[in-house]
Amino acid sequence: MELLDLQGSAVPEQSRTHIRIPFELQANVDRLQIRLEYAPKILEDREAALNLLQESYELYILPEQREQAIARADRHLPLKNLITLSLDDPNGYRGACHRHDPVQELFLSRESASPGLMSGELEAGAWIATLSLHCIVTPTCDYRLRIQAAEKEGSA
Amino acid sequence: MTWIACELHTHTLHSDGRQTLRELAEGAVKLGFGAIALTDHNTMSGLDGKEEIEREFGLTIIPGMEWTTFYGHMVTIGMSEFADWRQAGRSDIDRGIAEVHRLGGIAGLAHPFRIGSPACTGCFWEYEVGDWNAVDYIEVWSGTFPSIQTDNRRAFKLWTAKLNEGYRIAAVSGRDWHAQEDTDEPISVTYLEIEDRSGEAEEEAGASGDQEAGTEAEASLREARLIRALGQGRACVTIGPLLTMTLEAGGKTWPVGSAVPAALPGTGGTVPETNEAVRVKLSLDFTVRSGLWSLPGQMFRLKLCSNLGEEVNLDLPFAGNRPVEHEHEHEHEEDASSLWFEREAELPGSDTAAPRIWLRAELWGTVRGAYTRIAFTNAVYFDSEKEGGGSR
Ligand SMILES: [Zn+2]
Ligand SMILES: [Zn+2]
Repeated sequence: MELLDLQGSAVPEQSRTHIRIPFELQANVDRLQIRLEYAPKILEDREAALNLLQESYELYILPEQREQAIARADRHLPLKNLITLSLDDPNGYRGACHRHDPVQELFLSRESASPGLMSGELEAGAWIATLSLHCIVTPTCDYRLRIQAAEKEGSA
Repeated sequence: MTWIACELHTHTLHSDGRQTLRELAEGAVKLGFGAIALTDHNTMSGLDGKEEIEREFGLTIIPGMEWTTFYGHMVTIGMSEFADWRQAGRSDIDRGIAEVHRLGGIAGLAHPFRIGSPACTGCFWEYEVGDWNAVDYIEVWSGTFPSIQTDNRRAFKLWTAKLNEGYRIAAVSGRDWHAQEDTDEPISVTYLEIEDRSGEAEEEAGASGDQEAGTEAEASLREARLIRALGQGRACVTIGPLLTMTLEAGGKTWPVGSAVPAALPGTGGTVPETNEAVRVKLSLDFTVRSGLWSLPGQMFRLKLCSNLGEEVNLDLPFAGNRPVEHEHEHEHEEDASSLWFEREAELPGSDTAAPRIWLRAELWGTVRGAYTRIAFTNAVYFDSEKEGGGSR
């Protein structure tokens, strides 16, 4: 059963914000299947990327080292979008998947879970998926989050 | 007391690491570590099954999590449960640190000067800390061969500046270890000093005849001691030999991390009428993690540094030690006396107008062509008569 299919488009101004996506879980769910995808992953426009890097060097690199940093900017390329997912059940945190893969197929059940998520009882009630937009570098970044629930056998 | 070799910043597949906890543990033991902290990004799910791996490898695995937020990365260890990293705004990290403390953990700034977004998202520390007393430690050395890197030099300076302001903050290294990849760069180790009372928990559990419970209790005691040692600054950091320092004052020995009370004689003149000298004992042990690192023969320099500057410089000739490849080629043992040094130094009592408030030791030398810090101790603090207590 599909619980959620949400699509959106993020822009660079939304960097460093969370999108909280509540969903309701019915009783007798055996397994949650979560798919997060976003695209593009990489900022291909080299000039735009170098401009962004240069701005960040002003903030993070000592003045006397900036010139050298700009000359070696390639070590920080390509720039990437990063969106991560974390999950809360009615009682609290159920983990996060902090990694760079732009397509993540995740699952959660009583006995086991994808790395980063915590296995355990799938309690009925108000759950929240949080998308953390750590960094959006492309003009837009489309994301889609789908959550499906599989019911316990014989309970339907 | 024993010094335990620790790696305090690691990741697994549960975040963006490319290794399982078992692979990480195996690699850590090969490198001579006695303990690691697992600090995956924003999750503690990787700790599932850690007891079995601890037993298998004889390694302590301290639970932790790296708060991987928009305004900084914060390593937290020793929490009984999850503390929510998502609420922290740029000016309220203090609340987050308080929550970590409430759950029994301690918190440190991870790689505070590593470049931030978009190159490394949230990696640069941009939080405005309200109360630096709440910060338990700073990862002043991040990565391999850390001492020569500019961002680590900035972190080291930040630590020194905070000590000068009177805060008592520990300093550690963390490899930020993501994968089992060989490196020929020097690896930094944080040594934590804990009481060596093994068997105690077993004895306790032994009364009930439960040996497994005893082993488990022993493991959690060791873990708690390591966390406490780090919180107190009983820590020495090195890419080679273990450099330790103690002070002798008032008939007692004061280890790093401790605060010498103002009322004692011989504590460096923080009391006006007793402007006595401070006796410092330095020890340099080249036998630690034997065969896993090497330094060329040279004249090392030992320094005693405080808020008053570089107070003492001692030259120390060193004949060099051998890397592991040559270990079996030599029939004769290296002369033990060339691998273990003790030095004593005396510092003048400090003036009440400009009191000495902290003191640490550093070892400098040439590594891969660069003259750099090889090792440093955490600080011993001196209480002033006014404040009496210190931070935490
Ligand atoms: Zn980090
Ligand atoms: Zn890390």
